[in-house]
Amino acid sequence: MPGLTCSSHQCADTVAETTILSRLYSFLALTMHYPDPELCNTVFFEAMTSLLESLGSQTELSLLRDWLNQTPDPLNDLRTAYTHLFITADSGETIPPYASIYRDGNGTLQGRSTEQIRNFYRQCGFDITDTNEPADHIRFQLDFLAALTSEARFEDEQFFLQTFFRPWFELFQKKFMQEARHPFYTVSIQLIDFFTKEEQ
Amino acid sequence: MATNLTRRNFLKAASIAAASVPLSQVTAKAQSGVVKAPLVSPGSFKNTQTAVGGVCEMCFWRCQLVGKVRDGRLIKLEGNPKSIDNGEAICARGNAGVAMLYDPDRLKYPLKNVGERGAPKWQRISWEEALDTCATKLKTIIDRDGAKGLCFFGHGSHAKYLMDFLERTVSTPNISEASFFQCRGVRDTAYLATLDIAPDENVDMANAKVIFFTGTHIGENIHLSHAKNYLRGLEQGAKLIVVDPRYSASAAKSHIWVQIRPGTDTAFVLAIMNYLIQNKKYNADFVEEHGEGFAEMAKGIREWTLEKAAEECDVPASQIKEVADLMAANMPHVAIHPGRHTTWYGNDFQRCRALACLTGLLGAIGCKGGLVLPKGPKGLTRINWPYVPHEEDSVLRDVADEHHFSPPGTPTELLRDAAISGKPYPIKGAVICGQNIMQCMPNQEKTIKMLKQMEFVLCVDIMPTDSTMYADILLPDCSYLEKSDFIKTGQQWDLGKDPQQYIAPRMPLVAPGFERKDSIWITNELAKRMGYGDKIPAQNQEELADKALAGVNLSLAKIKAEGGIHVQPGVSPYDDIDDLTVHFYNEDMEDEGYPPIPTYVPIEQPPQGFVRLVYGRTPLHTFNRTANNPWLVNEAKTNPLWVNDKLAARLGLKEGDTIKLTNQDGVTSPTTTTVKVTPGIREDVVYLYHGYGTKNPEMTQAVNRGIDDNSLITKIAVDPESGAHGMRNNFVKIVKVS
Ligand code: SF4
Repeated sequence: MPGLTCSSHQCADTVAETTILSRLYSFLALTMHYPDPELCNTVFFEAMTSLLESLGSQTELSLLRDWLNQTPDPLNDLRTAYTHLFITADSGETIPPYASIYRDGNGTLQGRSTEQIRNFYRQCGFDITDTNEPADHIRFQLDFLAALTSEARFEDEQFFLQTFFRPWFELFQKKFMQEARHPFYTVSIQLIDFFTKEEQ
Repeated sequence: MATNLTRRNFLKAASIAAASVPLSQVTAKAQSGVVKAPLVSPGSFKNTQTAVGGVCEMCFWRCQLVGKVRDGRLIKLEGNPKSIDNGEAICARGNAGVAMLYDPDRLKYPLKNVGERGAPKWQRISWEEALDTCATKLKTIIDRDGAKGLCFFGHGSHAKYLMDFLERTVSTPNISEASFFQCRGVRDTAYLATLDIAPDENVDMANAKVIFFTGTHIGENIHLSHAKNYLRGLEQGAKLIVVDPRYSASAAKSHIWVQIRPGTDTAFVLAIMNYLIQNKKYNADFVEEHGEGFAEMAKGIREWTLEKAAEECDVPASQIKEVADLMAANMPHVAIHPGRHTTWYGNDFQRCRALACLTGLLGAIGCKGGLVLPKGPKGLTRINWPYVPHEEDSVLRDVADEHHFSPPGTPTELLRDAAISGKPYPIKGAVICGQNIMQCMPNQEKTIKMLKQMEFVLCVDIMPTDSTMYADILLPDCSYLEKSDFIKTGQQWDLGKDPQQYIAPRMPLVAPGFERKDSIWITNELAKRMGYGDKIPAQNQEELADKALAGVNLSLAKIKAEGGIHVQPGVSPYDDIDDLTVHFYNEDMEDEGYPPIPTYVPIEQPPQGFVRLVYGRTPLHTFNRTANNPWLVNEAKTNPLWVNDKLAARLGLKEGDTIKLTNQDGVTSPTTTTVKVTPGIREDVVYLYHGYGTKNPEMTQAVNRGIDDNSLITKIAVDPESGAHGMRNNFVKIVKVS
C-alpha cells in the first residue's frame, strides 16, 4: 500500500506541473461526462484543440477539427454519440465505461472492481458525489486522479493507475478502437490513454 | 496517439503554457464527481447487512426474499426465513436477480429515439424533457380522438399503477394485459362460467390422492411454493396422471402418461366424464347438491365413448378407462390442475370448462386434495385511481359483439386489427409497460404494422426488449429489487397444516441506480402533466403501500420490523362450498350462441411434410424476460428443438445438428438452434422453449440466441368465447443448416 503523501522522486518538478496535471485529469473526466451545454461550447473545444496542438498530435487535431467543421450541432451530435457508445446502442456496439465489466469475469456492473475502487477512493480520503452511478465509471476515476494530483500525491496516483485504472482501461480502449468510432471520443480516449500510460 | 512527447516531457515542455490557460478556463467551472471525505481505513465496508422485504419478480409467483447487502451493493438473494410460502428457498431465476440488477444492458436513463421505430437511434434526455414530451403527445391524441385513441400493453406489478391510471381515470378502453389475457384469463373465465370462481392455481396437490395435469409441466414451470405443494403430494403417495404429447419433467414422474394428440384434450376429458356417468362412478351426492344442468350435459356428451375418444386423441381406450377409474376410486381427493398459460389451440375455453366440469363431477372442490377457495388475509385498503366511465361504443368487444366470455381487458386481436384498420376508431398512441408484445402476440408482422401506424409509442421497462425497439420515448423503470409497488398475500403452502396467512409488501433491497424511477413516480408525473394531478391516489410508492396496509393496521415500517413479512392465524380452505354451483350446462353461454355444455372443437392437423410447433418453459428462464441474464444464459444457453427419434431418422437429423424452421406460410426463423433427438415427444410435434431468438442487439447476451417460436406463429387462432390467441396451431418444416 502506498503512502498517502508525495514521494519526492515522483513529484513533478514544479507546482505548475502539478496543477496542470490535475487540470488535465479534470478535463479528461469532462470528456467522459454526458455532454451538457456547459461542456459543449467553444471554450471547451478550443481547450481541446490547443491541448492537441501542444502535443503536436496532428492526426487527432484534424479528426477533431473535421468533425467540428462538419457538425451543425455539436451538442446534439455528441449526445447521440455518447448514448450510442456508452449507454445503449441499436447495433449492440455499446462499450460501457465501467471497470467491473472488463475485470470481473461475468460482465456485470457493481462487481468486485467497483467495490475495490470505491474503497481505494475512501482510503485516500475521497468519495464520489453521485452514488446513482457506479464508482468505477471512468469519469469518477479521472476526477479521483485529478484530486490526488492536485495534492501532489503521485505515489497514490501511480498505484491507482497501475492497480486499478490501466488494467481495465486497456481492454476498454481496445474494444473502442477496434471499430470506427466517433471522432470526438476517439480523440478523448487517446488523450486519456496518453496521460495515464506508464512511461517507457 | 501521434505525438513525439511523453507525458513527463509534455508537462515540462514550454508548449504546455498554450494549453494551460484554456484548460483552466474549462476546468475551473467543472464540478468534480469526487469530493473530500473522511478517511476510511480498509475493511470498514465489509459488514454485510441483511435487507428484508424483498418480493421476487423474476417470474410472477413472487417469493419473499432477503438481500445480503454490502456497502449499498446487493451481494446475494435468499428466501426470507420468515416466509410460510417459499421459505428459505428460491429458484435459479430468483438467485439470478443479482445479475439482472447489475446487467449493463439495463435501461439507465430516459431515452429519445432519434432514428426510426424498429431501428432506433437513442439519445439520452432529461426526465423533464421525456415526461413533457410524453404528456404532450398523449394529450394531443386524447384531445383529438378521445381516450379511445390510446391503448396500453402491460405486464406485472410494474405496470399495474400506470394501467389503472390509463384505464380508470384517463378511461382508455383498449387495455391488453397479455400476461393475463393470453395466459390464465381464459381458464379463469371458463371456471367462472362453470363454478362461479376463478381458480388461480389453488389446487391442494399436497393432500391429493390423484393429481391430474393436462399440458402442465411443474418442474419446468417453477413456482416455488406450488412446486413444493406438488412434490409433497407425490411424496405422500399421490398418483400422478400427465396428459402431454411430450415426456415433460412432470410426465417423468407420472404413474400414467397419456401421450395425447395435440389439441384433443377436451375429447379426452369428455370421454372420462361420459364413462364415469355411464358407469355411475361419479360423485352423485355432490352433483345432486351442487350441480345444475347435469342431465343435459350427460346427454350431450354421450357420443364420447372411450373408443371414439381413443381414436380422436390417438391413445388407447384402456388408458382413458384406467385414468377415469383411478379418479373415481380416489374422489373427491383429486387435484385437477386448472393449468397456467392455457391459450393453446383457439378451443381453450371449452377445454378449461371441461376440466371444471370434471372437477365438479368428482366433487373435488373445497376438500382435501381438491380445488380450494383461497383464504388469504382480508382487509387491505383498496387504493386506486378514480374510475371515470369510458366513452360509449368504445369497448371493442362490445362494438364487435364478439367474445362474450372474455377476460377483463381487450381481446388483443381486436385491438391490433382496430389500430391497423382505424376502424371502428383510430388508435394512435401506445403505452407499453413491462410487456414484450413482440414475443407474446402471434404474427409479429401485424404487431409491427400496428406500432408503425402509431403517432406516439411510449415504453417503460427495466430492460431493452424486442418491443422497446419501437418506442419513441423509452423510460427506465426500477426493478423489483429497487422499489416497493406490490403487496403479496397468501396462506401457508401446505393447506393441510395449521392455517396461517401472510402479508408481504415489497420493499426495496437497494437504492435504484442511475436515473431509474419507479413506475408510480413516472405515472404521477405524467398524470400531473396531463391534467390529472388532482386524481393522484398516492404521492409515492411508500404512501401507496402504507395506505393499503392501514386497512389491516400495519405499515411498511411495522412489517419491516417484523422481518419483512407479517404472519397471522389463518382459516382452513376446506368445507366452504355451501353456495357453490356447478354449471354443467350454462344458459348464458347458450344465449350468446356458444355451446352450453363443454364441447370438443377439432383443430387442423399438420399438412403433409409439416409438424406442429409447440412451446413451453425451461426452469431456468421466465421466457424472454430473463433471456439476457448472464447467469441464466450460462445455464440454459439456447432452446434445442425436441424432435422425435424416428422423425429425426427419417429426416436425416442427429443430436446437435443446427437447424432453422420454416412454417406453413413460408416464414423462416431468422436464427438457428440445435436438435435434441428424443423418443419423448410424438412424431407429429416439435417443441421449443419460449423466449429465445431475441432480435434486439441491445440485449447483448440474448441476441440471436436460439429460435423465437413466436416469429413462426403467423397463423392466428382465436378462441371464440374469450378472444384469446391460441398459439400452437402453426406447422413447421425443419431445415438443416449444418
Ligand atoms: S419461483 Fe423463482 S423466479 Fe419465481 S418468484 Fe420464486 S424465486 Fe422468483
